[in-house]
Amino acid sequence: MGNITLGRYIPLDSPIHKMDPRAKIMGMLLMLVAIFFPAGWIGYAILFAAAACAIILAKLSPTFIWKAMKPMLYMLVFLLVINTFFLKTGTPLFTIGSFTMYSDAIFQTLYIAVRLLLMVMITTTLTATTKPLDMTLGIEDLLKPFGKIGVPYHEIAMLISIALRFIPDLIDETQRIIKAQESRGVDLKEGKFTERVMAILSLIVPLFVSAFQRAEDLANAMEARGYAPGEERTRYKVLKMEGRDYILLIVCAALLAGMIWLSMRS
Amino acid sequence: MKMIEVKNLTFSYDDTKTTIDDISFSVEEGSYTTIVGHNGSGKSTVAKLLAGLLEKKSGEIYLGGLELTAANLTKIRSLIGIVFQNPDNQFIGSTVRDDIAFGLENHCVPQPEMDEIINTNAARVKMTKYLDHEPTRLSGGQKQRVAIAGVLAMKPKILIFDEATSMLDPQGKDEIKKVIRKLHEESSLTILSITHDIDEVAQSDHVIALNKGKIAMSGTPHEVFTNEKRLKEIQLDIPFALKFRNALARKGVKTDAHITMEGLVKELCRSDSNM
Amino acid sequence: MPIRFEHVSHTYSAGTPYEYKALKDVNLEIEEGKITAVIGMTGSGKSTLVQHLNALLLPEEGKIEILDRTITAGEKPKNLKSLRGDVGLVFQFPEYQLFEETVIKDVAFGPKNFGVPESEAVERAKKALAMVGLEPDKFERSPLELSGGQKRRVAIAGILAMDPKVLVLDEPTAGLDPLGTVSMMSLFSKLNREMHKTILIVTHDMEQVFKYCDRVVVVENGSIRAHMSVAHFFSDSSFCKEMNILPPSLIRMKDLLREAGFEIDDRIHDIDGLASSVARQVKQHG
Repeated sequence: MGNITLGRYIPLDSPIHKMDPRAKIMGMLLMLVAIFFPAGWIGYAILFAAAACAIILAKLSPTFIWKAMKPMLYMLVFLLVINTFFLKTGTPLFTIGSFTMYSDAIFQTLYIAVRLLLMVMITTTLTATTKPLDMTLGIEDLLKPFGKIGVPYHEIAMLISIALRFIPDLIDETQRIIKAQESRGVDLKEGKFTERVMAILSLIVPLFVSAFQRAEDLANAMEARGYAPGEERTRYKVLKMEGRDYILLIVCAALLAGMIWLSMRS
Repeated sequence: MKMIEVKNLTFSYDDTKTTIDDISFSVEEGSYTTIVGHNGSGKSTVAKLLAGLLEKKSGEIYLGGLELTAANLTKIRSLIGIVFQNPDNQFIGSTVRDDIAFGLENHCVPQPEMDEIINTNAARVKMTKYLDHEPTRLSGGQKQRVAIAGVLAMKPKILIFDEATSMLDPQGKDEIKKVIRKLHEESSLTILSITHDIDEVAQSDHVIALNKGKIAMSGTPHEVFTNEKRLKEIQLDIPFALKFRNALARKGVKTDAHITMEGLVKELCRSDSNM
Repeated sequence: MPIRFEHVSHTYSAGTPYEYKALKDVNLEIEEGKITAVIGMTGSGKSTLVQHLNALLLPEEGKIEILDRTITAGEKPKNLKSLRGDVGLVFQFPEYQLFEETVIKDVAFGPKNFGVPESEAVERAKKALAMVGLEPDKFERSPLELSGGQKRRVAIAGILAMDPKVLVLDEPTAGLDPLGTVSMMSLFSKLNREMHKTILIVTHDMEQVFKYCDRVVVVENGSIRAHMSVAHFFSDSSFCKEMNILPPSLIRMKDLLREAGFEIDDRIHDIDGLASSVARQVKQHG
């Protein structure tokens, strides 16, 4: 589990870490929209430079980003194969037997790869620099205006923060159940189809049973401490926007505007 | 004044079996009561009924003179705090600080007042050093102390421990027992603790022994835990001091019944010098 | 042949910031046919130690000899499956590993995984359930409907049905009431006496160690702090005090009596012996 970097918080002391989660989430959204404008290679170069600056400011290492990108590579290879067979436009590059490779197949894949890389850079910067709880608070605050149209923003935030709180416990629990069933001769790596189905059942059923037990305990504990969904409550953690947060938003908005301009020009 | 008063309380999870069968008892304000009984005797169900987490089938529950009904559940909940068995499943916040704040947020305590309340109550359970720790970095005993602080922060009048030490290691058990004793000595809280621990029972004022959903015995720890015949009937452990006293009697040395070893040894010394 | 640990080390999350050395150069010999208690504070490495016995964890350094097999650091263990059948490991709160539709199916699951034919596995399951004292009318029920104590017994039967030569139990009585604890410990004692199983019990409860175990291994900070007979370990309370352990009642009683001026022999190990000695002294004075 130690190898997963996508979405993991890295406790460092950097200006990006100190920013208001709301500013960071909004900034990320603006940047993600910007990526989807066909602003050409110049546009992508600018966005790449901006994302790289953010990563440097956040004191994150390039290998960390690379590790987050790695799982995406399988997808890209798959995409390249599909494109190779179905995209027959652009200049023919080379021919093997009856099969010809066209330039657009390469360009299309590269195009998506660049977008994907940018998305991973931006989202990873957000998740690596924002504590899960702060993220939840940020989401809650940003969703607040939608409360008027019936979005249960507080419940959503509570749901996310509890999920985040219990993920490490559930991972521990899973590992314990795996070990317990391995001790009973379960082989998770090999075996016939029916054996593997049983092996998976022997993990999933206990995991569900224990998750439900946990949920019941938790519901009791929350209720006993006066939690009632939908009721008014105060909040301990208060978020505050400062100068640097506004600068971030302005920069991101400017980048989006730039991308729109670039894409309209071409 | 009677802080808890239960009259003819009955409850069942399903129709096949009555879990709590027509029990009545009362608990004095500021007292420390323990509830004992083997697993399945209905101990934890009583705790959940008192906290309004389960709905009684019949009977009456009064807390601080107020009857527990669906209508005044919120009011009752602010009177009563409960610490559960599993240290992991009641830690709601992502840090100690946030967890103590959780109850305050629910009770709409204004934000500027929260820090002081959090600090005071963390200090009461000696967790000040750990305020910014995440639960994964705490021991079971520390998590239970946080749970106690979280409950204390809401200024309850009644504190219930539902087997709060049973999943802890010996260090953790000790920590929690010390905290409970200190709270009993230093505050006017009414404490109700469900436990298997004979040492904890010995430090309480009053014991209620449950068996098959009924009250089998009730009295001082000494009264309950020297009634050997009844203890055996309801499948409870006999304190070592009592077993030893019986062994001595078989060898011809008669002493009073004791539930603590210290008490027994003291008497032996007295009879020793008197003789 | 004893179970032997030679220079065994184990590190969790090696090479990450969370790296944690759980076992450090452990040398240990556990006798066959005995009940050995493994004690130590939470986080001392007890559980890590016992999980090496059926190769759930592999040594990072050193080797382990167990039942004519050798597990060496850096090598893939051979015959892993047969080792897991011969060394039955029961985790803490084992009731959370139950998953089958019926009790009998769940208990037969283990033996079936080790290649025992269906009909024999069911026979073994019935025997194991009888051993743990579960009434036959519950065999066809869902394990999830049972009470906590019954679930625990079904889970332990699931390991017993594998007919292991070595039985390893991680805090088997945690959360049980006094009566449940006694019946559980008596079961292990019986398995040891009548079926000559080698048993290891990880526990915090000194009463159990004192009453049911032959040997005691003390783990501290990933190393073996002490390994000796239970009689020697509890000859007085000095070892316990040194290791910050609350001694069993009888030993505490002996201490209190000594402090009060009674002469108590180190070799007294039962309540009647102690009572005789004290009664004699009380009468002499009188």
